[in-house]
Amino acid sequence: MTQAPINGQAEGGLEPIIRCRGLTRTYIKGDNTITPLAELDLDVARGEFIALMGPSGSGKTTLLNLVAGIDKPTSGSLRVGGVELADVSPSRLAAFRSEYIGYVFQLYNLVPVLTAYENVELPLLLHRLSGRERHQRVATALQLVGLADRHDHFPRQLSGGQEQRVAIARAIVTDPRIIVADEPTGDLDKESAAAVMALLEQLTAEMGKTIVMVTHDPKSAAHASRVLHLEKGRLVVQDERFATLAGA
Amino acid sequence: MLAPKYLPLVAKQVWRHRTRTALTLSGVAVAMFLFCAVQAMQNAVAAATTARSKETTLIVYRENRFCPFASRLPEHYQQRISEIPGVRSVVPMKIVVNNCRASLDVITFRGVPSDKLTMPGGKGEKFRFSAGSMQEFTKRGDAAIIGGALAKRRGFRVGETFDAAGVTVTVAGIIDSDEAQDQNVAYVHLEFLQRSGGLDQVGIVTQFDVKVDDPTRLREVAGAIDAAFEHDQEPTATRPETEFVARAAKDIIELVGFSRVLGLGCLAAVLALVGTAIVLSVQDRIKEHAILQTLGYGRGLIARLIVMEGLLLGIAGGGLGTLIAVAAIEWRGLSMSVEGLSMNVTASPSLVIVGLAGSAVLGIVAGLVPAWQASRRQIAACFRAV
Ligand SMILES: Nc1ncnc2c1ncn2[C@@H]1O[C@H](COP(=O)(O)OP(=O)(O)O)[C@@H](O)[C@H]1O
Ligand SMILES: [Mg+2]
Repeated sequence: MTQAPINGQAEGGLEPIIRCRGLTRTYIKGDNTITPLAELDLDVARGEFIALMGPSGSGKTTLLNLVAGIDKPTSGSLRVGGVELADVSPSRLAAFRSEYIGYVFQLYNLVPVLTAYENVELPLLLHRLSGRERHQRVATALQLVGLADRHDHFPRQLSGGQEQRVAIARAIVTDPRIIVADEPTGDLDKESAAAVMALLEQLTAEMGKTIVMVTHDPKSAAHASRVLHLEKGRLVVQDERFATLAGA
Repeated sequence: MLAPKYLPLVAKQVWRHRTRTALTLSGVAVAMFLFCAVQAMQNAVAAATTARSKETTLIVYRENRFCPFASRLPEHYQQRISEIPGVRSVVPMKIVVNNCRASLDVITFRGVPSDKLTMPGGKGEKFRFSAGSMQEFTKRGDAAIIGGALAKRRGFRVGETFDAAGVTVTVAGIIDSDEAQDQNVAYVHLEFLQRSGGLDQVGIVTQFDVKVDDPTRLREVAGAIDAAFEHDQEPTATRPETEFVARAAKDIIELVGFSRVLGLGCLAAVLALVGTAIVLSVQDRIKEHAILQTLGYGRGLIARLIVMEGLLLGIAGGGLGTLIAVAAIEWRGLSMSVEGLSMNVTASPSLVIVGLAGSAVLGIVAGLVPAWQASRRQIAACFRAV
């Protein structure tokens, strides 16, 4: 079962921050069984910036959701930050998400009735912090994404690029180790996309965050330290620099 | 329970969905207003007719007569009643009403011998004058001391003259009293009231109010009084005051008893309104709750946030309705009267508590099912569905 992972980076060193072995997710829809993710082996080391590419329906979002702990594997093993996600309780999983994961969506997914400030504050409410500490952290996060002057703006008063930057601030405000991003630039114009990518790159380079990002855009993928290709739920080798083995 | 730091979140959800919240709150407020009104009437009836263990008042009436117009007893019975063992005091009283049927606006005159009102230990001892005085009353033959509820309802002031049931009086004082009946009557001099009814009315009263020494001997004394006049020309029927009111107000009591169903209907309406609001708002926010869960909010927390929203809507709407009901009752000074007896509708503190607690509980209950449903959802599927 301990097949060599698709990259050899983590061998011998620290445990990779994300470690999949035989990771499988199936859905049963009526009589059909859909398997968006099949027997996936993957290691991601701390501080890596992974770009996940592949055609629509190839299982990219499914993989992100599993890593982010908002979905559970059907079989196989998935260790993130040393926690085996396949067999933790829902409440432990929620705590895991709060501590380890910042999720950035394609469509930002800000809460419409909350201001930028309040949206960023949301994940912090779960932490034991004084009101003042919370305020400081939110202000810092908004400052980092360049929106220090937009605290009181509601999502509808912001541009797409600004919304996405608020979403990034919300994802990093708790200082999680892993950022997962599902086509974060998919809905943005060129300039906004570039700003978001610069921000993500800064997060790995300066703060050592591990990022797993789904993208269709080769330009965005170029920011990553490693590009993975999914097809029909399996990783395929396209980038010779890193891949040593193709599954099936 | 929900940690206080999450309360602003819930409040913002409620406050920033203005239209939905306003609609829900007004519906809940109307329902709670009706509930409180019904409840207040129930309380009024209960207060006037439920036998009290400490009850010491008997009403002596003409046997087989039920309306103040028909009950006529010789005033001189007073002497014989006061000699019966266990009787502490006797007040002969003539009652004149402008309307004998069940009504919300009856003026009841009680003619009482002047000394029975003014002397120490008399009826007047319990009066608390909010305007005018006992001296004013003794000065004038046509003076009237009126109960606070009546004064409020009709807007009477001291010095004002008014006419009802063919009797014209001048207000000499406005009183507050612990006795429910006092709230809604006009006390006048007995002789004055007897004269205004014609010469044949002199020496005739409607009833005697008898105080007994020992509440446990109430019925025994009543029996003794009736036995004493059994063979007289005008035999008597003596009952504890609450029983007397209960008998006279039978129709009202039945009506109010039926209104209990209305009250329950109001509560059901509150439940349905808050329930609908929460269900719709949770439907609307499936994705939002999935976002919260993605951020690390657990199922229990999501559920509690939703229940808290129900609680907030319940308390805000119910509080508003209760407040309006209390204000309306206080302002209108409502009382239900029949045959010269009245049941005062008042807004007691317990009414406010019942109103608030009731709407809070209903708010919570309304939130439970949607909360449970929302907390069960598969997060990833919620993002896909939209
Ligand atoms: N909850 C679900 N129920 C049924 N099918 C699903 C569910 N989630 C994903 N799928 C299916 O799994 C496949 C992969 O989906 P996804 O991971 O979203 O692909 P990608 O993100 O690469 O476009 C798709 O065919 C999709 O319809
Ligand atoms: Mg996808």
